[in-house]
Amino acid sequence: MSYEPPLEKYTVSIREVAWGPAAKLKKIGGENTLPFHYFEGALPNPAGLAMEILDVRPESWSPIVLEPFEDVVSDPVRWARKCIDVYGAEALCLRLVSTDPMGMNKSAGEAAEMAKKVADAAGVPLIVWGTEAEEKDAEVLVEVAKACSGGNLLLGPVVKGNYPDVSKAALEHGHAIVAQASMDANLTKELNIALCKSFPPDRIVVDPTSSALGYGFEYTYSIIERIKQFGLFDKDKMMLMPILADVAADCWRAKEAKESKEQGILWEAITGISFLLAGANLLVVRHPESYRLIREMIMEC
Amino acid sequence: MALKGADILKSLPKTNCKECGFPTCFAFAMKIATGGAKLDQCPHINPESKAELEALLAPPMKLVTIGTGDKAMVIGEEEVLFRHEKSFFRETAIAILLSDDEEPGVIDEKLRKIQGFHFERIGQKLNVNLVAVSHDSQDKGKYTSLVKKAMEFTDMPLLLVSCETEALLEAAALCARRRPLVYPITKENVGAALPKLKELKLPVGVWAKSLEELAGVTAQLQAEGIEEMVLDPGSKNMLEAVRDQTLIRRSALKKGFRPLGYPTMAFPCFMYSDKFKEALAAAACIAKYAGIVVLNQVDERFLLPVLVQRFNIYTDPRRPMTVEEKAYEILNPDENSPILISTNYALDYFIVSGAIEEAGIPAYLAIKNTDGLGVLAAWTSGKFNGEAIAEFIKKFGIENKVKHRKLIIPGVARKLKGELEEELPGWEIILGPQEASEIPKFLAEKWSV
Amino acid sequence: MILIGEDLNVMSKDLAQAIKNRNPDPVERCIRGQEMNGMDYLDLNVGPVKKDPVETMEWLVNLVQGITECPLCLDTTNPVAMEAGLKLCKKKPILNSASGSTEGKEKMMPLAAKYKCGLVLSVINDAGLPADADERAASIMESVAYANDLGIANEDIWVDPVLMPVGIDQRQIAAYMEFVRMLPDIVPGAKTTCGLSNLSYGVPKNLRGLLNRTFLVMIQRIGQTSAIVSGFDEELIRLVRGDLPDLVNLIHRAMDEDDVDLSGLSPKEVEYVKTTNVLMGRSLFSSSWLEV
Ligand code: SF4
Repeated sequence: MSYEPPLEKYTVSIREVAWGPAAKLKKIGGENTLPFHYFEGALPNPAGLAMEILDVRPESWSPIVLEPFEDVVSDPVRWARKCIDVYGAEALCLRLVSTDPMGMNKSAGEAAEMAKKVADAAGVPLIVWGTEAEEKDAEVLVEVAKACSGGNLLLGPVVKGNYPDVSKAALEHGHAIVAQASMDANLTKELNIALCKSFPPDRIVVDPTSSALGYGFEYTYSIIERIKQFGLFDKDKMMLMPILADVAADCWRAKEAKESKEQGILWEAITGISFLLAGANLLVVRHPESYRLIREMIMEC
Repeated sequence: MALKGADILKSLPKTNCKECGFPTCFAFAMKIATGGAKLDQCPHINPESKAELEALLAPPMKLVTIGTGDKAMVIGEEEVLFRHEKSFFRETAIAILLSDDEEPGVIDEKLRKIQGFHFERIGQKLNVNLVAVSHDSQDKGKYTSLVKKAMEFTDMPLLLVSCETEALLEAAALCARRRPLVYPITKENVGAALPKLKELKLPVGVWAKSLEELAGVTAQLQAEGIEEMVLDPGSKNMLEAVRDQTLIRRSALKKGFRPLGYPTMAFPCFMYSDKFKEALAAAACIAKYAGIVVLNQVDERFLLPVLVQRFNIYTDPRRPMTVEEKAYEILNPDENSPILISTNYALDYFIVSGAIEEAGIPAYLAIKNTDGLGVLAAWTSGKFNGEAIAEFIKKFGIENKVKHRKLIIPGVARKLKGELEEELPGWEIILGPQEASEIPKFLAEKWSV
Repeated sequence: MILIGEDLNVMSKDLAQAIKNRNPDPVERCIRGQEMNGMDYLDLNVGPVKKDPVETMEWLVNLVQGITECPLCLDTTNPVAMEAGLKLCKKKPILNSASGSTEGKEKMMPLAAKYKCGLVLSVINDAGLPADADERAASIMESVAYANDLGIANEDIWVDPVLMPVGIDQRQIAAYMEFVRMLPDIVPGAKTTCGLSNLSYGVPKNLRGLLNRTFLVMIQRIGQTSAIVSGFDEELIRLVRGDLPDLVNLIHRAMDEDDVDLSGLSPKEVEYVKTTNVLMGRSLFSSSWLEV
């Protein structure tokens, strides 16, 4: 029986975004094929994995996921170091929870100072994330951009309502950004078009907003697949940005994840690996074990 | 690859004689394309075109049934490579592996668990589907008795696994009436096994070390009248599985390559000894096309995430997913807790219930059946207007659950406020925030009775 | 192209208030404006009318018939209100709308048969909106057969293929067009109509008209016979009435050719070409489609 495997070649590549300090520069994207399709294309950069840390002691975390960090959660710098030194994190995502206008409402300045401290102490690629309160995020991320000038951070979420300020500051101070549009390929494209008028397209990661297994998972899964395919299959230049899936908070909010350690870790790891299979280029996870599992699974190649 | 009505029309007489019962040949062609009519209904189609069309209309991936009765598992006849293109249709069967090398105590425990499995989640039953009985000892008698035991203790369909062809076929004969899947049939043993396979007429699991070899074996079996097969490309890890499964699915659907037009199987249980990695590989194989995934564990903490992932992947993206209409109690609310109302569009439910949990404020979430329409669409179509909601509030006795008379409605439904004030005299109707993400802060600030 | 004016609609706050308070002035302004612009039918969209369905509909139909000679298209999901309105119509009205769902078959279609009026029949059925052209065809054939059995002739059926917002699922537009092309073969003699504005639902207001107009020209070309449109969009009316042949030709050309040369075109012409491109599914839609 003669058989030719039906290999497919695409003529475009996902843009490569490089972020982090020069010594630990992390590249994501760059592939000219579907996720894990090493058999028919080039994937120069394995997916990036960032471990989540908060700038304040987490209030509502399940003990299962608090336990590995119990000794460091009151100090973001030590927390960052533990992720790197003990759990082998290659990148981090610092969430500036303290700036939440409905919570502690700390000032942009204070948050920026903390971000700077963490960035200096960590020395690895760092995502700095707001609280998804549009206006406050704009203030905070602009301050962070300034304070960490030249630090090549990944700042987000940048949304339709606040992109001009944040992208301007990011460009001035040498940072990349995460453009977020909720579960909608059309809006993702719209935001990219708007951003690209004044911001380099290869400094943008897109976030279609994530979800957890059992809680909207299938929507995220398909929107990631579709964004990737609009880029690769249809060669849509505005859809060739690498994709972020930030699964940490959604997964650990699920009640099933809180029922047992094993189930919690798998809730996060299966969500994460599924989104990588759909086409995500960068994951944010919370538990060191799910971090390790996903990394080992994808590094096999 | 599915044939379009317009393509079918080309092979019809185009005389519009109406004898098929449709007003035009075109109408008939449309019906054929969507499976609503049979070619035989047209008496005038010439036999050659008919044969051609029949071949084209045959699904590019065969359907395979394992087991009988209620618990029979049907896999195959998938139509797309990506769920957003249409949908994935037949859920991956999850098989649990039993080995005749395991201690009897372990086997009993596994069988007990397999038979007792029963998860339910938002009205959906989540189950494992097959028992894989594996021959790893050197002792044929031991294998046969394990097969008997599995038959006796469960009513689930069986997957027989033995590299001893003789033992395999004997076991197959033994439980033939339960219609097991017989595995592995390979390039090496196919000749010896064929007579018995033809006699038993059971579905066959084919193993080969390459896709080319796989196609050779299936062609040989097919030529002898064996129709139902499941393909194992022998993938040794997650990456290989993604590759093999993708190429098989593509060959079948995009190239119409019949020798690989069958559902597939994968063995995460042999890929990884680490239970976590086994579960992750299972999830990858479910997302990437496997018709059967074999696991070596019965621990529900490992199975539940896999089953939920399978459920999500196989949800039909063309139909809005819905949740059951009722008043959901979140974080054990009491008579002073707030009541929020929303539609039964599943995403609305997940987002709002998630937001309430995040707020940490116990509440009732009243979910009104809107046939999966979101707030605005449901309002326009009359399924989420004042009258409908008032009726629903009464029907579910929500008024008896709380002392207050305050109802929080979605912030986007401004008009609803007035309607409800008319329909529910005595109630204070509170317009919630525009975005669900603002619910925690909204509740924290506004909720006081 | 038969144009049905959509503007008398309770989605408009002012008109909803006017109808509720039985205030004729805003209704009259709305009706007269559309009539002046040459609408062939006027749609009276009163929503589900939960309060006093009969009185409301009677008041409105009588009022409108006192203002205009134009035939009416009655648009309510409430069969009681529908019947009250149909009874009063002096000219043959259109019932808008029935679907192939159980409810459509049991409540609305019999009314159309009883009052011998036109019937907007959508491709929706109990399973929801069909996913592609073939499924639409299968659904409409079934519903039309049912309507025929009730004595409704194809000539009285206005098939609504259901136009989905471009921002929700762009592929639905290709399916829509494919279906319109095949319709004469599967329901010979029937008309086609659709709620055109739905196409641009969710798109910034200033851009909606452009999408609607371009698409109407596109589907007019492939055999669409009617649409429910804004009776105040003068450019739209001129386009489909043949007053702007150059623009129409340009849109047709953009339908046929992937890469219409934009140099030398006026800004407005460029907009129409870009819009045609996005509606043809050549690139992913976003609200900034004119900017790329
Ligand atoms: S019976 Fe055959 S030839 Fe006659 S209308 Fe039907 S399909 Fe056409």
